[in-house]
Amino acid sequence: MLLERVDNPGKLRFDVPYQMAMILTKINRFVKEGKIAIVARRCDEKAIAELVKRDLLDGSRLELIGLACSAEQVEACRCTDPCPSRVDIGQPSEPVKDDQNFAGMLDMSLEDRLDFWINQFRKCNKCFGCTLNCPVCFCDECLLEEKTFAPDKGIPPGLTFHLIRTVHLADKCVECGECERSCPVDIPLLSLRKMVNRDMKKMFNYVSGDPERMSPLLTTLEGDPMEDDPNVC
Amino acid sequence: MSVKHTLTTCPYCGTGCNFFLQVVDGRVVDVVPCKTDETSRGGLCIKGYNAHAFVNHPDRLLHPMVREANQLTKATWDDALRRISSELNRIASEHGKDSIMILASAKCTNEENYLFQKLARAAIGTNNVDHCARLCHASTVAGLLQSFGSGAMTNTIPEFEDADCVLVTGSNTLEAHPLIGARILQAGDKGAKILVVDPRDTPLSRVATLTLRQESGTDVAWINGMINVIISEGMLDKEFIDTRTTGFEELKEIVKKYTPEKVEEITGIPKEDLVAAAKIYASGERAMIAYAMGITQHSNGTDLVRTLANLAMVTGNVGKESTGVNPLRGQCNVQGACDAGALPNLYPGYQSVEDAETKTMFEKAWGTKLSDKKGMTLTAAFNKALTGDVKAMLIFGENPMMSDPDIGHVEEAISKLEFMAVVDIFPTETAKLADVVLPAACYAEKDGTFTATDRAIRAVRKAVDPPGDARADWKIACDLGKMLGGAGFEFDTPGQVMAEMSAVAPIYGGIDYERIEKEMVRWPCPSKDHPGTKVLHADSFKIGRGVFAPIRHTPPAEETSEEFPFILTTGRNLFHFHTGTMTRRSAKLQREAAGPYVEINEKDARDLGIADDSSVKVSSRRGSITLSARVTPWIRPGTIFIPFHYAEAAANRLTNNALDPVAQIPEFKVCAANVQKG
Amino acid sequence: MNDFNPNILAFCCNWCSYAGADLAGVNRLQMPPNVNVVRVMCSASVKPEYVFKAISQGIDGVLVLGCHIGDCHYLTGNHRTAKRIPLAAKILDKVGIDSRRVRLDWVSAAEGEKFQKVVTEFVEEMRSLGPNPMKEVRF
Repeated sequence: MLLERVDNPGKLRFDVPYQMAMILTKINRFVKEGKIAIVARRCDEKAIAELVKRDLLDGSRLELIGLACSAEQVEACRCTDPCPSRVDIGQPSEPVKDDQNFAGMLDMSLEDRLDFWINQFRKCNKCFGCTLNCPVCFCDECLLEEKTFAPDKGIPPGLTFHLIRTVHLADKCVECGECERSCPVDIPLLSLRKMVNRDMKKMFNYVSGDPERMSPLLTTLEGDPMEDDPNVC
Repeated sequence: MSVKHTLTTCPYCGTGCNFFLQVVDGRVVDVVPCKTDETSRGGLCIKGYNAHAFVNHPDRLLHPMVREANQLTKATWDDALRRISSELNRIASEHGKDSIMILASAKCTNEENYLFQKLARAAIGTNNVDHCARLCHASTVAGLLQSFGSGAMTNTIPEFEDADCVLVTGSNTLEAHPLIGARILQAGDKGAKILVVDPRDTPLSRVATLTLRQESGTDVAWINGMINVIISEGMLDKEFIDTRTTGFEELKEIVKKYTPEKVEEITGIPKEDLVAAAKIYASGERAMIAYAMGITQHSNGTDLVRTLANLAMVTGNVGKESTGVNPLRGQCNVQGACDAGALPNLYPGYQSVEDAETKTMFEKAWGTKLSDKKGMTLTAAFNKALTGDVKAMLIFGENPMMSDPDIGHVEEAISKLEFMAVVDIFPTETAKLADVVLPAACYAEKDGTFTATDRAIRAVRKAVDPPGDARADWKIACDLGKMLGGAGFEFDTPGQVMAEMSAVAPIYGGIDYERIEKEMVRWPCPSKDHPGTKVLHADSFKIGRGVFAPIRHTPPAEETSEEFPFILTTGRNLFHFHTGTMTRRSAKLQREAAGPYVEINEKDARDLGIADDSSVKVSSRRGSITLSARVTPWIRPGTIFIPFHYAEAAANRLTNNALDPVAQIPEFKVCAANVQKG
Repeated sequence: MNDFNPNILAFCCNWCSYAGADLAGVNRLQMPPNVNVVRVMCSASVKPEYVFKAISQGIDGVLVLGCHIGDCHYLTGNHRTAKRIPLAAKILDKVGIDSRRVRLDWVSAAEGEKFQKVVTEFVEEMRSLGPNPMKEVRF
């Protein structure tokens, strides 16, 4: 997966949706010097933008090779923004118009909605797949390993666990869908993320993955950066 | 700098998930799930995600050690191996070959287990080889062999998804086999009915269609009760019973007595629930049964497995996709260790050691004379060590000082041995008592194959070199074999071992490394052009017709008394694995479940004045331990549960070593105990 | 009016709202007794995690009170609160918990009467909403 010699790339597949940005963050701490080229889909590109913005990656040492997802992949990810800023591999495909997978959830009454989510979260067996595979989940010390919020009393971990992840991702989620794909029990996490992202857009006119604009949660009401550490969740 | 990703198989439960080990500069640093793997489909459980954590642990054994003046001291490989072979030779000549016992390991590969049993049979000359399947699914192997003719899971893991009904009993599937549990949940999402029968409320039972809570040790009664209801409601599969089975009339006679009223009396399951469950199971077009230790670890384990087989056969739920009786095997290679013949009565491929023709075949293949006497089981070996009939033990990667029932008894047995050698990756409780300790390579440091619970043969690939002087178990077995004068231990690669194994074990006949690289094959696979078998017993049972076993309910070996009013049951939790040798050295897993605890019902706790997280003393007729209380609504009043992972309060100090008469599996699941504030 | 007594958690910032609450007490203003006050150094230290934990455990309503914008002892601490708490309320709404169960308001050290008004209104609103459904949920 990480190639050092470019003359013989071996057998490469582009149809398996690995989140290369996540793989990059895992090995980044070991790569002390030199440039890294990375095959990046649009979601990887946005995730990398979020990480560079927070000084967690050195953008000048990265070379992005743009990979345009195929129509089937776009369909499978319900992706509304599939085309990278530069395309080196593949043909750009049309985005899904508007992902309405969560429309049904919003139509439910509050009682039904709570019931639905409680039943979904009851399936959780705390594999941490949604955090481990998330390209923009980066804290060294995860709050979800903190007994106050996620008690060490077995599974399922309860509502707080999922809500904390939701709020932590509110200003970073690039809708790659990796959390939902890696969830062994199919909790519709991507739909939850998309709903919150829509709120972020409405409340602050902010869309994650923007390489320029800082997260509104890290700025004052006037939009100036706050003084303290930008990298806390 | 070098980075590589090695695809390999998870070393924990028997599901057989594949993942990539991320290796940076010769060090395993992380785990990345494999999206193209049919079993895990890009998911893993928390243990899988942390499977890299113990590999670089500072506690790893790095050098061979030999006991000198009652102290384990560093030694060379040569000295250590010579010490083992000379001691074994001496004991064999003084006390006979059958005074030596070899414990193989469900944590080692197929190839290694093949070599371990060959070491016992061909190099030492005894059938005394066994492994921890004796403690988990020995009753499955014996029971399903008698009912169906094959002791393995009848169907495969992906089939759970397409079932209409999944009956789960004695299995905490979401914690012990998380990715199989996930499949069951997916079936549920698609509309399948999930039935859970368990004295504890498990995470799966909280999302189940119907949950029955029986008193521990009364399983025959509720299963017979369900058959009774199915017969009286006329929901039988008559055609299946007539054409594929024998012994139905006897069964019918026996289950007559198990009316729902009677079953309620014995088990505590409300009769309406029993009737409802029976109707749900019988009306499913494709109904699967999944079970684990809650069924097998009883003094009547074999009978229990056969009763479940009865239930599947009366409804014709055998031999089709998404049906069957599915034992969920708990170790990465417990299926393979059985297949490879690490059992005292069976050669590789489930061929009886007492069958003269088979023996001749193996004598020819291995070029040596073999014993025709059935060997000793693991549980028997410790009893026999006490009486002085077993003098030496060679233990590969097992930790009986934690895993076997009634540890006090095991400890005494070990102290009576003249010689014990342990091969392991960490200084386990057992290794600390050994005369010779050899450092082994872990799963990430060797090549080989594991056989998953659904008979799929999965590749284990070497990602890094073993630490220090540690060696792969197959190399150690070969070295020892040669040193003991055995022929046929000249292997250079595990591939060569598999080639030999596939030649002598017909169910593995078509397996070779080239093939496993490309596809997932499930045995039986008799030849290279055979595609492998997903569903067992599709057209006929291996023994012709399925056999109904008429079985009566008998109470467990130990019942509660005034002094010991609680029923203690033991098991796993999600975060740890067995004796904790690996998982308790993984920081993230240890964080999730740091110390020993006992689950006790809220009402019982209130009566005894026990608060959550307070210290309590649990005792049984065999010993007592002190640990913290976890007060919960999720367990039946009168029952307590202790996970057996914690050495500081080992649940097996308390458990009863009453054995099943056929499979010699101990009754881990029921023992009488008392709880006090402490 | 029903007789349900909601259980309310109020986070008050040390510099303004807590002093405001104190003033309300000194002036003997009548207030419903359902409120448990937690004193925090700044409303910005009320992370959404605490709100979620309280709601998950069955607290009927969470009140976050800080200094008025511009008056923060730490200059811009409450700017953070102003964005975070409404977001937390939105997220609760997404999973089916009424977002009115979380309220953010500004109370200065001099506004004893406002404190009384906010608390009384909030308790009444929670009373009309009824108990937090999470009370009945066991995972």
